[in-house]
Amino acid sequence: MTSLQAAPALQEIISLLLRIITSRTFLQIVFFPGFLNVMLSAALLTWLERKVIARVQLRIGPLYAGPSGVLQPIADGVKLIFKEAIFPELADARLLMLCALGLMMLAFAPAVAIPFGEGFVIADMDVGLVYVFAVMSLFPSVILLIGWGSNSKYSFLGGLRSLFQQVAYEIPMWFSVLGIVMLTGTLNLTKIVEAQQRLWFIVPQVLGFAVFFAAALAELERTPFDLPGAETELVMGWMTELSGVPFMLGFLAMYTKLYVMSAMITTLFLGGWSGPGLLPQPVWFLLKTFAVASVIVVIRGTFPRVRVDILLRTGWTRLLLLALANIFVTVALISLGLDWVWRI
Amino acid sequence: MGLDVWSLVVLFEAVVFLVAFPLLVFGWLMGAKGKNPIRDAPFESGQTHLGEARQRYMMQYYPYLIMFIVFDVVAMFLFTWGLAFSSVSSSQNYLFLIFIAILVAPLGYASHLAGKREFW
Repeated sequence: MTSLQAAPALQEIISLLLRIITSRTFLQIVFFPGFLNVMLSAALLTWLERKVIARVQLRIGPLYAGPSGVLQPIADGVKLIFKEAIFPELADARLLMLCALGLMMLAFAPAVAIPFGEGFVIADMDVGLVYVFAVMSLFPSVILLIGWGSNSKYSFLGGLRSLFQQVAYEIPMWFSVLGIVMLTGTLNLTKIVEAQQRLWFIVPQVLGFAVFFAAALAELERTPFDLPGAETELVMGWMTELSGVPFMLGFLAMYTKLYVMSAMITTLFLGGWSGPGLLPQPVWFLLKTFAVASVIVVIRGTFPRVRVDILLRTGWTRLLLLALANIFVTVALISLGLDWVWRI
Repeated sequence: MGLDVWSLVVLFEAVVFLVAFPLLVFGWLMGAKGKNPIRDAPFESGQTHLGEARQRYMMQYYPYLIMFIVFDVVAMFLFTWGLAFSSVSSSQNYLFLIFIAILVAPLGYASHLAGKREFW
């Protein structure tokens, strides 16, 4: 008797679940521009980095897991899940686990606003540019918290350096995209991509691109600005005392950040999803993003690391002046009446 | 579904959390557990560790930190201006350019002082 009465209610719940699962929003959040895309791309980038660095150093790199070792990230992940997470006796284990989780969630957050194609964006925000920068600016604080929670000298020094790095790169980074904001008059990333249909912003904003790229390298903590994780001085920087799953989350967060930052460079300066039209828009976007990421990886294989004071001086004299010069160039472009090229 | 932007952000973050948090729990359940005073010591390149890392550190490059605070505010103003650039009359836009040009002089002097080793 009761099962007969429960049947319609159950059917309703199942049909509701089916409707949610097949809805565009759900598919976007879980699959394409959303979680699975970012996760798999970040995993692929760890493989790409090992392979490219191996080529630079005349090695072969990962080889056995799958065709030319492409499944190596999965093998690494499984290994790290089953490993013991060692926390030092003086460390705050709960804080470390919480920070690793927070780092992972922070790294994924900017992907919400990035348009991977027309309609392939989870949340089409009017303040997308500011949102991405705001989320990105939280990283050094979490990294410093990991250094504090580890209660180890190497970790804490790594966290402090991360903070200094932010002081050096953040202002030039903000100023370098000001030209784009002036040309388009919007902070919406979709509209910024649409404004580049005729000409990519790398051409009129070449100074801004140079500054943004250098600042992005510092933001990503990659060579030549990988001071917070400098292996020769700080062992593994702020990651020294992380192990097991917390290490995996922190490591994955860093590569997610690399992916998101490459996607931002593509969106702002390389025309986003626009291409000759032979391939679907998201394919063009992913091709450009992985090309940018490969350049960043090759830079790691070829350049030496700079000192902290040189980074700070470069950021505050060279990069900031170039970014300010870029504003004047943009004003000159608009005064000459050339801004019709980027009007939508 | 007509969800607004911020609930979409929250939903996306919930998906990330629902993957990352079980991983942490699973790793804690599966990984070996045990106490070992030598292995649990903070890493100090194989030396016996010297205790807490939460002690006084020399905070270097202080002038840069002060400049950062000042220019953070300037960046905020400049972004509002840049966003409204095309709707503001050109004479007022030139006023802002003069402001930026004036900004360069104290910036140069401050970074000159900050670059000196005795001020680190």
